[in-house]
Amino acid sequence: MEKQWDAIIIGGGIIGLACAYYLTDAGQSVLLLEKGDLGQGASTSCDDMIFLQSKKPGILLTIALESLEMYRRLEQDLPASIEFESRGGMVLIESESQMGHMQDFVRQQKALNLDVELLTKEQARKMAPLVSKHVLGSTYSPMDSQVNPLQVMRGFVKAAASKGLEIRRHCGVKALDNPAPYHWKVTADDGKVYESRFVINACGAWAAQVGELTGLELPIKPKRGQILVTESVPAFGQTNFWSADYIVMKLNPDFAKERSALMNDLGIGLSMSQAQSGNYFLGGTREFAGFDKTVDRTALHLILKEAVRFFPALEKVNIIRTFSGFRPAAADGKPFIGPVASQPGMYIAAGHEGDGIALAPITGYAISRMITGQPLPYDFSELSPARLGI
Amino acid sequence: MEELFICRCEEVTRQELEQAIADGAISMNELKRWTRAGMGLCQGKTCAKQVMALLAQKTAQSPAAVKPATTRNPVRPMQISYMTKEAE
Ligand SMILES: Cc1cc2nc3c(=O)[nH]c(=O)nc-3n(C[C@H](O)[C@H](O)[C@H](O)COP(=O)(O)OP(=O)(O)OC[C@H]3O[C@@H](n4cnc5c(N)ncnc54)[C@H](O)[C@@H]3O)c2cc1C
Ligand code: FES
Repeated sequence: MEKQWDAIIIGGGIIGLACAYYLTDAGQSVLLLEKGDLGQGASTSCDDMIFLQSKKPGILLTIALESLEMYRRLEQDLPASIEFESRGGMVLIESESQMGHMQDFVRQQKALNLDVELLTKEQARKMAPLVSKHVLGSTYSPMDSQVNPLQVMRGFVKAAASKGLEIRRHCGVKALDNPAPYHWKVTADDGKVYESRFVINACGAWAAQVGELTGLELPIKPKRGQILVTESVPAFGQTNFWSADYIVMKLNPDFAKERSALMNDLGIGLSMSQAQSGNYFLGGTREFAGFDKTVDRTALHLILKEAVRFFPALEKVNIIRTFSGFRPAAADGKPFIGPVASQPGMYIAAGHEGDGIALAPITGYAISRMITGQPLPYDFSELSPARLGI
Repeated sequence: MEELFICRCEEVTRQELEQAIADGAISMNELKRWTRAGMGLCQGKTCAKQVMALLAQKTAQSPAAVKPATTRNPVRPMQISYMTKEAE
């Protein structure tokens, strides 16, 4: 008889690999099937931020804070550095009305133990001397952090492989059969059928396609993000940066009127983070455009104009790459982390939209605890597929 | 011993590339993402051939079987002031 695995993970992005890491750590035998190379999806076409300040108080902020602590430990536990750094973040404020909204937001977040404060114009310029003079002030949190997602994935692969993880690349899943509860037969592109007790759908923006194989309708769609990368340059300030206008608009949709229709259609909000290599990532868009990978000049142009408005000195800097990636966007904005009640053994770990890097450790850990029947540190029912009747 | 940089833009040594292959990288894309080889200013023009040869050798693939890494625009560095003007 063919080997029966404890768990088969479908999808080799940061979420699938995090699941592999925590499951093998818990002593499970795990096979990971990836339709291309590891990290060919969103997890290598993205920024590197664990951005807490954008989160409304609630389950997502709670688990993001937990995930941050887990990254701190992973920096020690994984075989090589994941370039974890708490450089802090500033949300740059340009108008009195933005200021009012951000004041409120900061008050709510503080109540949930997020270390965040408002800075005056002078304080903000002190932390970011190159910021444009029109900026009225900013928020600041020393907790906003970053990791290098590529090194995180490499670390997960190496650590999990030493505990028996097997990986098949160029081995997409094309059929799933469930002859009995907790018995799965997974047919892959190599023509083989792999058997397991548990299956984890960690296919990011493609999760709905794999869901269809067992008749599930997962409301997850690709939300494209376009990004530019600069050459390596000295830092523009001590922290990473965001513009307040997009965050304020998310909190208060009325605010959209103060932005151009094109900015709203493309979902542009400036984010600027510097990798340890010195390159800045300038982002980004948030658009529903199917699985179309192209980057378009209009969007790139608008992102750059935003960036130069906040940091005029950027004008002289070179762009060395542009790219786009697909955020896995769930219909209600929350990831699915949990079992499918009607299909014993089937788990979903997908739909993290713009937070998959930040939430990878807690997702992998939670899935591992659920599968091995261990208690969880938080109530995950709000993130269970059951919340939408799945 | 003096370190031998295979990717000069990103200062990636042969030893770092070999380590990444030992950690499980088996394609040019994985190798590039894990070591930054090919991500520098020249975007791999100088180093790609050598990296491919090393990968082929270490993973016992024929050099022709190793697929090049996917490239990303712009192919040449471009100043931001130029890009914002161009679109106007
Ligand atoms: C521009 C941009 C910026 C971002 N910035 C940040 C940020 O700063 N911080 C943050 O936390 N998050 C950020 N994100 C979000 C983050 O990148 C994603 O949430 C995360 O990468 C999702 O990981 P994943 O493993 O679920 O999906 P993916 O990385 O997309 O992995 C899914 C994998 O499944 C594979 N697959 C699909 N179908 C099959 C099949 N049938 N069989 C086998 N394998 C299959 C795919 O090939 C792919 O490798 C950003 C995203 C974008 C696009
Ligand atoms: S030498 Fe490797 S990117 Fe230029």
